[in-house]
Amino acid sequence: MRSRSLDFMEGTPYLRRMAKQVQQDQVTRAARRAVLIDGIPVSTLGVIALALGGNPDQSTAQKAWWIATTTAFTIAIAWVLLRAFRRADEYLRRIQLESMAIAFAAVLVGLQVATLLDAAGIIQLHQLAQLILLGGVGIWLLIADLRTRLHR
Amino acid sequence: MKNRLRELRAARRWSQADLADRCQVSRQAINAIETERYDPSLPLAFTIADVFGLAIEEIFHPDRAETTGNPAGH
Repeated sequence: MRSRSLDFMEGTPYLRRMAKQVQQDQVTRAARRAVLIDGIPVSTLGVIALALGGNPDQSTAQKAWWIATTTAFTIAIAWVLLRAFRRADEYLRRIQLESMAIAFAAVLVGLQVATLLDAAGIIQLHQLAQLILLGGVGIWLLIADLRTRLHR
Repeated sequence: MKNRLRELRAARRWSQADLADRCQVSRQAINAIETERYDPSLPLAFTIADVFGLAIEEIFHPDRAETTGNPAGH
């Protein structure tokens, strides 16, 4: 009842309201685009590092490429995190931190399981480590995006 | 914490995006404060109060039942 009266108080001409809606959507889209602009190259770098590390019988040159790519991937993740935090206000920062906490827990559990399987000789840990890290980044982005998307 | 943000914003015919621009925060932050899913920090509460030209206590009210565990609000 109260919200209806407030909506009435807020009443603006239809076109103006639609323009506002479009503007809001543009702001939201711009924020998402910024995340994608940062996230896609870093994810691609992660996939490349993963592919380079997939071969168990690597030559010295291949190993050097793998280490270089992995280092670049790690620095890029730190850079993306820094940019995301600088861009965010206090509310979005809290959402990011909560999403990161969940992703961190998932990475810890994933690494623990992979370590146990490695000890049992079922898998090789170094092949899965980057995949687990990438999964963590994916979980972080997914949760942060869903939380801002569902509470508009 | 209860607040009168929506009511004050509606009285000025501002959208959430307008208020967010004035407070220099995201629209999601304004939405979360209005729907009481998020309590703003003291600096942001001061900014919001400045934007409306009111004192903080005229906008934000403590939810007594929540802070004291007393459902009657006393």
